[in-house]
Amino acid sequence: MFRLTGKIAWVSLARRRTRSVLVVLMIAVSLWGLLFMEGIYDGMVEQMINNAIRSDSGHISLFGGGYRLDPDLSRQVADVAAVDDFLAKDSRVLSYVKRLKQDGLVATAHYSRGAAIFGVDLEVEERHGRLAGYLYQGEFSFGRRARGAIIGFKLADKLQVRIGSKIILSAQDRHSDVSAAPLKVTGILKTNNMALDENAVFIADKKARKLLAMDEGVSQVAVILHDEAQIPGLQQELRRRFPHLEILRWNELYPALMQSRVMMEGFNLVTSLLIFCVAALGVFGVMLVSVLERLREFGIMLAIGTRFSQIRNIIFAESFFLGFIGFGLGALIGWGTLYYFKIYGLDLSMFSDAFDEFGMDAVTYAIIRPSYFVTALVAVTMATFLSVLVPLWVLKKAKPIEAINKN
Amino acid sequence: MLFKLALRNITAHKKRSSVTALLTAIMTALLVFSSAWIDGSHDTMIQSAVEIYPGYLQITGKEFRANPSYDHLIFDAAAIEQELAQNNDIASFGARFESFVLFSADEKAVGGMLTGIEPEKEVHLSRLSSSLKKGEYLSADDTNQVYIGHELAKRLKLGVGDEVAFVGSGADYSFAADNLKVKGIFQTGLFDFDANSAFLAKGYFDRIMVAENYATHFIVLPKRPGQAAELAAAIADNIGPQYQSASWNQTMAGLVKAMKLDSIFSYITLGIIFIVIFFVIMIYTFLAVFARIREIGILRAIGTTPKQILALLLLESSLLALISVVIGGLIGGAFAHYFHHNPIVFAGMEEQFKQYGLAASAMPTAFMPLMILRDMVVMFGLSVLSTLYPILKVNRFRPVEAIHHV
Repeated sequence: MFRLTGKIAWVSLARRRTRSVLVVLMIAVSLWGLLFMEGIYDGMVEQMINNAIRSDSGHISLFGGGYRLDPDLSRQVADVAAVDDFLAKDSRVLSYVKRLKQDGLVATAHYSRGAAIFGVDLEVEERHGRLAGYLYQGEFSFGRRARGAIIGFKLADKLQVRIGSKIILSAQDRHSDVSAAPLKVTGILKTNNMALDENAVFIADKKARKLLAMDEGVSQVAVILHDEAQIPGLQQELRRRFPHLEILRWNELYPALMQSRVMMEGFNLVTSLLIFCVAALGVFGVMLVSVLERLREFGIMLAIGTRFSQIRNIIFAESFFLGFIGFGLGALIGWGTLYYFKIYGLDLSMFSDAFDEFGMDAVTYAIIRPSYFVTALVAVTMATFLSVLVPLWVLKKAKPIEAINKN
Repeated sequence: MLFKLALRNITAHKKRSSVTALLTAIMTALLVFSSAWIDGSHDTMIQSAVEIYPGYLQITGKEFRANPSYDHLIFDAAAIEQELAQNNDIASFGARFESFVLFSADEKAVGGMLTGIEPEKEVHLSRLSSSLKKGEYLSADDTNQVYIGHELAKRLKLGVGDEVAFVGSGADYSFAADNLKVKGIFQTGLFDFDANSAFLAKGYFDRIMVAENYATHFIVLPKRPGQAAELAAAIADNIGPQYQSASWNQTMAGLVKAMKLDSIFSYITLGIIFIVIFFVIMIYTFLAVFARIREIGILRAIGTTPKQILALLLLESSLLALISVVIGGLIGGAFAHYFHHNPIVFAGMEEQFKQYGLAASAMPTAFMPLMILRDMVVMFGLSVLSTLYPILKVNRFRPVEAIHHV
C-alpha cells in the first residue's frame, strides 16, 4: 500500500519536473546557506572563546580572595601546594597553569606604556594552552639566561619594538617599592585576546618573583577540563574546598564573549525561522496548485473506490518527497562546504585589520554540529507538513467527484 | 493595449499576485530597514568612538603616527594654532600632549597616560568634561590638579582631593615627577580609557614636562564633521610637509574596516534570505505562467508573436514588482524614519559594546531617501530577474503544444 502511494506521489512529481526541481533546489539552497552561516558564525565565536580560554582564563580560574576587585600582590593564592595537590589528582582536569601577575610600566628609550606583567613557565603554558601556537614573531623562549620577554603584538606595535629590542619593565613590588628590570624582546604573541595583545608582557616566573619580591604565592591558577560539561561541578567542588579563593568560570570572566555566543544562537534561530517560513511558503504554493489542477484526477480516483485517506497520503508523500530530497541535497552540500572550511578555514586575511579590532582570527574554521542538521530536518518536516494542510482542506471542500464533470 | 492586458492579468489572479507582491514587498522592506540599521548603527558607533576622545581630525608631526616618540612632536604649536585660527571650516581646535607615566598613590603604582589639555577648548572637542562623575572639571589656570579616569582612580584608591604622584619623562627626555591632587573623576564608559587616562591643564603640564609650545597633536572639530577628510587634506596643504593632518578615517582605520566587515557579514546573511525569496518568487511566477499556458497557446495560435507575449509577461511582472517595491520601500522607509528619531536601545549589551571600545547603546537607524531608493531599485531588478526563467521557458512551447499542455 505504502509502495503504491509512494509510487503515485513520485510519478506525479516527475510529471511536473521543472516545478519539482525548483522546489527541491529552493530547499537545498536555503539549507545550504543556513548551514554555511551557522557553521562559520559559530566558528568565529567559538574561536574567540577558545582563544580566551587558552591564553588566559582556562575553563575555570582561581584567584586570591578580593583579587579581582583589587589586583594587589597581597591578595594571592597563598596555599599553592593544596591547590596543586587537588588539581593534579582530579581526573576531570586536563591541565592547569599558575601565573604571577602585576600591573606595571614597560618603557623603551622613546616610549612607555602601562602593561600587565605575567610571570609564567613557558613549558607549562605550552602544554596547557598551546601558547606557542600564538607566536607571531621571534621565538617562544626567554633566552638562555631568562632575560627575555614575550609581549603582545599591539603593545609591540605601540612601543615600536622588534625582536631583540631592549625594554625596561618597572612595577611595584610586594613591599610597595618600585623596582625595574631590563629585558630583551624575544617573542611577540598574537592571541587575539585583546586584553593580552594590548598589555601583556610575559617574563620567566623566576624573573617575575625577583622583580616583585614574591617568593611564593601565585595570582591566578587557570584550569582546563577534559569536558566543558564538568565545569559547574568542578567549580562548586573547588569553592567548597577553597572557600577563601575566588573561583570563576570563563563566562564569568569574559561576559562579553558569553553574550556573543547567546546572541549568535538567537540570531541563528531567527534567521532559520525566517528562511524556513519563506521556504514553506514556496512548498505551499506548489502543493496548492498541484492539488487544484488535479481535482479531476482525484475525483476519478475517488469515483473508482480510492479512499480519501489514500489521496491525503499521496499528497503528504509528494510534499515529504520534495522536502526530504531538498533536505538531503542541501545537507550534503552544506556539510561538504562546512567540512572544507573546517579543514582549510575561511581565510579573510584581507580584512585582518578589522578582525584585529574585534579581537578575532582572520582565518575562521567552521564548526559542524549535528544539531544544525537535526533542527533543519525538524524544520523541513514541519514546513512540508504544514504547507499541505491548506491544499488538503481546499481539496476536501472542492468535492472532487463533482469536478469530474467540470471542464 | 499591452498595459491594459497586463493589468487585467494581474487582477484576474488576485491571490497569486498578492502573494508574490507581498513577498517582494516584505523583502524590500527588510532590505531597506536592514541597510538603514546597518548604516545607522555603524555611524553611531564611529561617531561615539570618535567624539569621546580621538576627535574627527588630528594634526601630528609627520612621523608621529608611525613612531609616536618625543622625536616627532609638534615643536611649534603656536604656528599651527595661528594657521588653524584662520580656517573658516573649523568649528574648534585644541592642542594635547600625551605622555605615559607611572602613577603612584599610597600603596599602589599603576602605569597610565597623563595628558596636558586645554580645558576650555576640550569642552567642544571631546566628551571629557561631560563625563564628569565626581568633583570638578579642569580650568585653564589649574596647577597640579588632575582630572582622572574612574577606573584608574579606583585602582589607585583615590577620591577627590587625594594626592597622587607620577614619574615619567619630560619632552627633553629628562626625568619628570610631581605630586598631583585629584580635582575631578570622569567616566566615559570605555573601560580601557577610564582605566588608563588622567589629564592636566596644559599650561602647568608644559612647565613640569618641559613641553612649552610643544604638542603631540592638535584635535580639530570641523564645522561639517561629514567632510573631515576634505578638511584634513586642505589643512595638510597649509601647514607644511613636516606635519601630518589625518581625519578619523585614517586615525581609526581599524574601526572603519571593522564596520565594513560587519556590513559584509550582514549583507551575506541578507543575501541568503534573499536567495530563498528569489526562488519562491520564481516558483510562484512559474506556477502563474504555467497556469495560463493554454491561454498563451491560443494567443500564439491567433497570431500573437513570441516577442509580444514576452513583452506582455515581462510587463506584468514589472508592474507587480513596481507596486510591491514601492509598498515595501514605504514600509521599510517608515520604520527607518521612526527608529531614526526613536533609537533602539540595547540596555543589556553595553558590556559587549564596551569591549569593542563603543560607549553607545542607543542606535538610531540612518534615514537616507537616496539609499532607500537604491535598495528599491535593487529589489525591483531582482524581482523581475526571478521571473525571467519561467517566462522564457513558457515562451519556448509551440502553440499546439501549449494548448494541449496538461
